[in-house]
Amino acid sequence: MTTEFNPKIVAFVCNWCSYAGADKAGGQRLDYAHNVELIRVMCSGRVTPSFVMEAFEKGADGVMVLGCHPGDCHYRTGNYKAKRRFTLFQKMLSQFGVDPRRFKLDWVAAGEGAKFQKVSNEITEEVKKLGPLKLTGFVKERGNDL
Amino acid sequence: MEEKKKTILYLCNCGKNIAEFINMDELQTWAKSQGNIDAVEIHDLLCAPNGKSFFKEKLNASKAENVIIAACSPKMHEATFSKLAEEASVNSGRVLMANIREQCSWVTKDKEHATKKAKHLISAALAKAPFLENIEHRSLECLTDLLIIGGGVAGIEAAITASRAGRKVYIVDKNISLGGHVITTEEVAPHMECAPCMLAPRLAMIKNDPNIQVITNAEVKAVRGFKGNFEAKIKVKKRYIENSCIGCEACFPVCPVERKSEFHLGMGSTKAVYTLFPGSVPAAAIIDDSLCKHFSDKSCNDACVKECPFGSINFEQTDSELIVKVGAVVVASGFDSFNPAKHPSTATHLKYGELNNVYTINEFERLAASNGPSGGRVLLKDGTSPKNVAVIHCVGSRREDILNYCSGTCCVSATKVGHMLRKQDKEIKVINVHNDLSFATPEEYSFYTKERTAGTDYRRSTDQSAVKLASNGKAIKVSAPGITSFDADMVILATGAIPAKSTPELASLLNIETDKFGFFKSASSLLEKTLSTIDGIHVVGSAQHPASVGDSIALAHSATAEILSSLMPGRKIELEVATATIDKERCAGCKLCISVCPYSAVVFNSEKKISEVIEAICRGCGTCTASCPSGASKARMFTNEQIAAEIGGLFK
Amino acid sequence: MSKPKVTFYWCASCGGCEETVVDLAEGVLDVVAAVDIVLWPVALDFKYKDIEAMADKSIAVSFINGAVRTSEQEHICKLLRQKSQLVVSFGSCAGSGGIPALANLTNKQDIFTTVYLDNPSLDNKEKKVPKELSREGKYDLTLPSFYDTVYKLDDIIEVDYYLPGCPPTPELIAQAVGAILKNQLPPKGTILSPNKALCSSCKLNDSKPEDIAIKEIKRVIDIKLDPSKCYLAQGVVCMGPATRDGCGVSCINGNMPCTGCFGPTDSVKDQGAEMISALGGIIDADSSEQLNKCFARLPDPAGTFYRYGMSASLLGSKNKKE
Repeated sequence: MTTEFNPKIVAFVCNWCSYAGADKAGGQRLDYAHNVELIRVMCSGRVTPSFVMEAFEKGADGVMVLGCHPGDCHYRTGNYKAKRRFTLFQKMLSQFGVDPRRFKLDWVAAGEGAKFQKVSNEITEEVKKLGPLKLTGFVKERGNDL
Repeated sequence: MEEKKKTILYLCNCGKNIAEFINMDELQTWAKSQGNIDAVEIHDLLCAPNGKSFFKEKLNASKAENVIIAACSPKMHEATFSKLAEEASVNSGRVLMANIREQCSWVTKDKEHATKKAKHLISAALAKAPFLENIEHRSLECLTDLLIIGGGVAGIEAAITASRAGRKVYIVDKNISLGGHVITTEEVAPHMECAPCMLAPRLAMIKNDPNIQVITNAEVKAVRGFKGNFEAKIKVKKRYIENSCIGCEACFPVCPVERKSEFHLGMGSTKAVYTLFPGSVPAAAIIDDSLCKHFSDKSCNDACVKECPFGSINFEQTDSELIVKVGAVVVASGFDSFNPAKHPSTATHLKYGELNNVYTINEFERLAASNGPSGGRVLLKDGTSPKNVAVIHCVGSRREDILNYCSGTCCVSATKVGHMLRKQDKEIKVINVHNDLSFATPEEYSFYTKERTAGTDYRRSTDQSAVKLASNGKAIKVSAPGITSFDADMVILATGAIPAKSTPELASLLNIETDKFGFFKSASSLLEKTLSTIDGIHVVGSAQHPASVGDSIALAHSATAEILSSLMPGRKIELEVATATIDKERCAGCKLCISVCPYSAVVFNSEKKISEVIEAICRGCGTCTASCPSGASKARMFTNEQIAAEIGGLFK
Repeated sequence: MSKPKVTFYWCASCGGCEETVVDLAEGVLDVVAAVDIVLWPVALDFKYKDIEAMADKSIAVSFINGAVRTSEQEHICKLLRQKSQLVVSFGSCAGSGGIPALANLTNKQDIFTTVYLDNPSLDNKEKKVPKELSREGKYDLTLPSFYDTVYKLDDIIEVDYYLPGCPPTPELIAQAVGAILKNQLPPKGTILSPNKALCSSCKLNDSKPEDIAIKEIKRVIDIKLDPSKCYLAQGVVCMGPATRDGCGVSCINGNMPCTGCFGPTDSVKDQGAEMISALGGIIDADSSEQLNKCFARLPDPAGTFYRYGMSASLLGSKNKKE
């Protein structure tokens, strides 16, 4: 029996814009891919690449970091810090055998329920095409060695 | 080892909002089978009065110390449940919500999927629970006095309002006396109220108010601290005249030096010892040491000293420094006007400064003012009265290449020109050349229609940036696309408002942001309209955006109300609880967290060689924690361990 | 009283860790006088079977350096664990994979293909590739199996203490040996080096501005480093803020930035990820264009930020499931 692959997406969202944007999507009953699950932080500037790696390591097929639009950060500049960090991070991701399309940094405002729905569905579709995250030929479970 | 804390999970049906889309029976059975939950309670509507009492009753009975509520968004009811938990002696730092409504039941069509997602969201909260820590509610004594930067109408009104409430006010202006732009105006449109008549009593109130300290010819050099506890360093420049001066002007006639008057925008003159206008506050005059003979050949034999009945002249005076401690800062530093000679496009087209009898709207205000350089008579350079006056709207404004915005105040001022000229001489013809018109209130619009009926001719060009002025014998030829060229003998340029020259420096020393137009930015364009991007610092009047006199005053009153109500003598201010903190045993003093803090809340302790968080300034964004590569910085409520655990929980 | 028995063993390593023991100089004589070395493949001729014959826990301490990537290494590590009271993970490779663990970004097949078949300088017409079993006449010749994954020591066996560094400094070794001989040991699992980042000892830290901002990342070969100013502030990736102290700041004192060999402090899960986060925070560029330019001279971020720590990383370690 084959079941449809539903990629698991973890989204780190800032409290003020993107978490509120996701709530807004809820308020408007804009349903989106059910495997998109959120972790709330105060600011996208709080998110470190280790959280994203942790999510991939635990089994996420895709990860998003969503913050306020540039210029709208509740804490002035946290989203710019996120952009700088994750531009560098994304540059490295493929070295670990993770397709950079599995990671997305985007901006969703508190009023943008529809945009939240859109980015959630888009990364889900993109990752669906890529298939489940597996690091072919990369580090394997011990069982493969012995 | 610390004893494991009990955890209680509440499931809320939210009427049908959750229960209809999530299999609550299954969720409850699942939850009860989870080893790390000590009690599972389900309620139909936890936020309703009976739900709240249910919440507290079950919480008390369970003796749980960690509380997870699977219900709506924390943005909806986190505060509600935190408060209830505190009432039941559970620290609000140990209250977590799993958002199974907005982010689950409302957005997941398939019930099975929604139930599974709800389990993940609850698992994440459960995984985080063992890492929760009590939060400490901290409050701080606050100072309640105000520093006002800028002594224009907005600053004056803020000062009077705060003083009336018993607050000490320091009002600082870079000019030698208060009054700002408004004092240079004869009448304020659209009601044509007499500006000096409005301001003179206000200035007198300030002068006689022991609560208000007026600090002019001064600059704020540094501001440190946070809401409720600022310290400002102010440099007061020497004026060579002591405060005993009452502005009697006895020294003026004997001074042999003439200089251009800044009050008259260079169109009139003063002596080297001068005031801006009679009755200024402070009353004291000032000596322009770049021109005063005392400082060069002493040929005047210090005539002023002999004339002064109060012995107020002191050539030995030096700059001084003043430190003030306040709870809040009001920035009322005003605006400047676009100078058409300063941009190649307007300079070429309008020949301001080249052609005679071409004035900016501000210069016109001075010319029309009864205390102006020509005694209130608007005259041509040759001394005759003008007959045909053109008013050019939007000079520098609404153009991508210069000011990409509408100041919203110049159309009224431009309309005022006709009104004032006809008061001088009914026969003067006034033609306003515009492309669009902006009137903010019914009164402004009716002022325009009235002036139009009274004789001002409004001609609409198709491109205001292409308006050209050219010399045509004694006249000035005005041409613009879409209208027939005509001759005028005087042209008034309605220039847009631009950020005051001091804005970038002030923004930097206050650590507040400016917007894309260069004006000071509001924390929020609606709810926190007067608040800058730093708590405790408010921005009012045209420092925030070009504002009418009425709006400037309203903003000043609004900011003062915010300050007066949030900083009360004897009342402490609550500090952010989810602040960052640095473990001094672990910090290597690498300083990388310092530069990322948007509020300068992290400082380097050069004695201990470590970084420290000033928790009264920290607003809890956690950006510094993300910048700490040695794990010394901790963002409370969002620690690395908590978030890692939460991530793991999503995969249970 | 018989002297405590000690072993030194090497797995996948360069030999530098052995060198550093010799770098104890005359101190090594004190060690030799105080202990009885029963296995040291690089220096002395003992046989595995001698160890196998010993009673369990009869060795006082085994110092094991190098990462684990073959079945032989795994076997000996397990043997030494069985026979030793204490096992000390010695150096970066044993501690977190070290340089060999960069191989975790590829796999056994690709490595063999590159090393034995594709390298332009190879002379291997028969296209011979090492095999675990080959027959030479009537003899079966065996080689240890080569793993896809490079492991740190504690992925294979329980480790009592860690001496970080590539290699650990003689000072740290002397301290550790002293502590073992005097039985003044810290709690099990301790990394025997200060738990603060390197900046706390770096003389250049005072020169680091509080508003540090980097417009463009530079490689060491791109600029002439000012030896009196913080290298990170000069735009060079210095791992000091993300790296445990204890090395004596030797690289920086030698005009090279820290490359992170001592690994992170206790409270950090992934050294590379945290350094990226910290570095990203001080980058002064916003547009994608500026950012690309800024990072243009950082062609191998994984190799830069995980030079010694791949086996301990979140994504490049044994934790990764296929």
